[in-house]
Amino acid sequence: MAQNINPHYASSSNPAKQNEDTIKLKDNHAVSKRLQKELMELMRCMDKGISAFPESENLFKWIGTINGPLDTVYAGHKYKLSLEFPNSYPYAPPAVKFITPCFHPNVDTCGLICLDILKDKWTALYDVRTVLLSIQSLLAEPNTQSPLNQQASYLWPNQPAYKKYLDDFYNKHKDS
Amino acid sequence: MSHKKGDLKVYWNKITYAFPILNDNIFSDCTNAEYDEVQHIIVGLGVQIKIRDLVLIHIEKHLRQHVAPKFWSKFIKVNEDVRGFQLFKSAVNDLYEAVSSFSSMMCRLTILNNSCNDNKPIYGEKDVVLGFKQLVRATLLSQLPLDFQVIINHFYKISFNVFDNEYENSDMSEDIMCSGCGNEYADCNCAYIVKVFHETNRKLMDLQLLERLTGQVLTNFIQLRIESHIQKLCTGTFDVSHVGFLENWLDTTVMSWLTRIYCGGSSKPPPDDKNIQNAISKFKQKLRYFLYHSYTKLRIDQLFNIIIEYPDSQPAVDDIKFCLDKTDLRSTLCKKLQNALETRLLHSGVNTPDILTAYISTIRALRHLDPSGVILETVTKPVRNYLRNREDTVRSVVSSLTEEGAGSELAEELAKYTGEPEGDADNDEAWDEWNPDPVDADPKVDPKDRRTSDIISMLVNVYGSKELFVNEYRTLLADRLLAQSVINTEKEIRYLELLKLRFGEAQLHFCEVMLKDISDSKRINSLIHQDSSIEELNKEFVSNAMILSAQFWPPFKDENLELPDEIKRHLEAYTKSYEALKGNRTLSWKPHLGNVNIEIEIGEKKLDLTVSPFNATLIMHFQNKPQWSIEELHQVMKVPVTVLRRKITYWQTMGLIMEKGSDYFVLADETENKANVSANQVQEMICEDEETESVMASAHDQREGELQVFWSYIVGMLTNLDSLPLDRIHQMLKMFASQVPGTECSLQELRQFLDTKVRTHQLVLQGGLYKLPKTIGLR
Repeated sequence: MAQNINPHYASSSNPAKQNEDTIKLKDNHAVSKRLQKELMELMRCMDKGISAFPESENLFKWIGTINGPLDTVYAGHKYKLSLEFPNSYPYAPPAVKFITPCFHPNVDTCGLICLDILKDKWTALYDVRTVLLSIQSLLAEPNTQSPLNQQASYLWPNQPAYKKYLDDFYNKHKDS
Repeated sequence: MSHKKGDLKVYWNKITYAFPILNDNIFSDCTNAEYDEVQHIIVGLGVQIKIRDLVLIHIEKHLRQHVAPKFWSKFIKVNEDVRGFQLFKSAVNDLYEAVSSFSSMMCRLTILNNSCNDNKPIYGEKDVVLGFKQLVRATLLSQLPLDFQVIINHFYKISFNVFDNEYENSDMSEDIMCSGCGNEYADCNCAYIVKVFHETNRKLMDLQLLERLTGQVLTNFIQLRIESHIQKLCTGTFDVSHVGFLENWLDTTVMSWLTRIYCGGSSKPPPDDKNIQNAISKFKQKLRYFLYHSYTKLRIDQLFNIIIEYPDSQPAVDDIKFCLDKTDLRSTLCKKLQNALETRLLHSGVNTPDILTAYISTIRALRHLDPSGVILETVTKPVRNYLRNREDTVRSVVSSLTEEGAGSELAEELAKYTGEPEGDADNDEAWDEWNPDPVDADPKVDPKDRRTSDIISMLVNVYGSKELFVNEYRTLLADRLLAQSVINTEKEIRYLELLKLRFGEAQLHFCEVMLKDISDSKRINSLIHQDSSIEELNKEFVSNAMILSAQFWPPFKDENLELPDEIKRHLEAYTKSYEALKGNRTLSWKPHLGNVNIEIEIGEKKLDLTVSPFNATLIMHFQNKPQWSIEELHQVMKVPVTVLRRKITYWQTMGLIMEKGSDYFVLADETENKANVSANQVQEMICEDEETESVMASAHDQREGELQVFWSYIVGMLTNLDSLPLDRIHQMLKMFASQVPGTECSLQELRQFLDTKVRTHQLVLQGGLYKLPKTIGLR
């Protein structure tokens, strides 16, 4: 996908032999700038139900927070996520996973998320905000076809039972 | 060779005759010829060494048991000066006599020693006489009593009085008392005292005891003299350099005293006596250091005043600079000056402009004193901190920057500024004049910064932000532009250009637009006045609008004012005409700003006034209806009652409106106000308009708004990271929110901001950690 190729690599005549380190250094600055801009945008918009901020001085590691969407079984829940940006960001997707354990068909027990835009469907046009919004909507509309959590996937059609199990699970794990 | 017992006895008697000390006696009539015989006997017996040593042991014993105790027995605590004087004199005399009485014995001992040929040093000296003197000193000093200085003090006090008097040559003919000895002139003791004084000094010098016994006392006295001399010479005058005079004074007057003391009265040191010369030159070095030290100390005590008078006091600063290299008073200077600044400057009783003036002269003076800027940096730190807390600092600086005429040093400073400081090429040229930074320099600061930053940037740096200054300048400029009906744009443009040199084009772009607005307004006004519909209206009165580009002007204070209908009609017509002139644009009026020229006719009285729109509106309402209650006025003007009540006093003082009953106002009628108006003639000139307060929102309000930008960052931070301490929040903001405009924020400012948030329950502070309350966060 053309969008996912760093123009630096593309334009260089011999991409394979490019010195990785120099690119990294050169790019780090550009990536920082982009992340800083994204942060400013995020702070300015203050979208409802999503938020994220760098974890420490390292601009490449963020903590995100998602509120469960209203009118779904996840309403009232709050999930923390970690976002790690590679040096090639935004040409490569950030590594996103749940910190708060999340009972969901597309989230495994380690917090890993199965979401196409975080993998092969990623484009440089996405940003932190859209990623968090996508995950928020994934909570409401799981893809039960390719589950990571079989139990959740089986339980999903039975919403009252799912909700009951989910609430227990959330209350048990939310502080861990 | 054998000797008979009787012979030995005769020999022994002869030897004790030559060295009576062997019998605890000193005096003997032994002549040189007689001694030759004794010497012969001793050599004949081969007991030279034994005899010599025996004699020495006896001398030592004698000194220890008789001479020293006798000498020290005179050193008792006495209160009267004269008694002390006599005691010391007699002690020295006795000692001298006692020592001299050994002289003939010493001659014989020398001969004896010479015959010994064993080269054994006598008390560390080769020469017997020198060894003997050494012995005397050692024995004396080994028995040094505790209060030995008391009578020495007395002695020198009296002597110095006389001595001083002799040198001062003070003209005191009307005085019957001799200022030297305190007696009446008739039986003045001075000559005697001087004689004794020199005699005693000479004897002590001879015994080589002068330095050891009296050195301390002597030094004290001379130092006192130096101090009082410096005091007398240097108080209150900063415009003359004194170091040269003082050095000269020390070299001539003081040193001639010393020489006289050391040389027993003669004013020239004996050229052959190395001892005395050494002693004197050592003393001189000590005194010279002391002179610098006490002079510098005095100057440091006065440094605050010196700084205030700078540059008139430059010679004094030069002196300090010179002496500071020779003394180690640098840290004292910093500490004292800092204290002086704090006690005399940094309290609420001092006006900000005064503090600034003092700060500026401090910068100038200390820059001269210490080109490296280290002292300046240390000393003025509290000043900077203090200025930072004063609300009107920026305003004062900016207004003095743009002030004209005398006293506005900053304006001159601004005009002096020539853009970029000289390039590095110059520095390379002067490599051989390079000096390392002083030891107390802060290694974190680039020495170049310290050296080159000029006064204005130092003032700007008080806040650490150019922006705040530029903003304040903008506010002041706006105030000035709006307050004056005739605007000297040329002058303002000149200042703007100067400021641009310093702060850069970008920062002052807004101000440029503001000035352009003013000149544009003039043009537009004249264009609109050509409009026929306006011309019609202008017959009644002429209105000129100031058309401001809202984007570029600082925010105005929000104030409401409902203008009278006729005025409104006029302004509407103006707006229409403007819209016709400039398509797609319209005017939004700020009715509370501007000036109104009004002409008031009451009876035969005519008043020409320039007042605020508010006051004009107020009086216009009275034109149609002479009686208003405050409530009614509130209805028509849409202004809060309290403000109305305050503003109406203006017309009351003018004697045009009177308060009849509470909150009920009437137009003062002719008969009554005649007297009033004439009485108020003077006042009329004075109280042109009482409103001098700024119409702009204050910098403080603006700042509050800027800090709100942080708030979203802080919420974002705390939502995701739960709870953070203050410094972490500050650090994070610095890292991630730095490109948001106008968000330089000190830790203290942030703390205040967060505290207000805690008070309004938007934040929770728990154990030093800030966090969001449960209900906020993600909404």
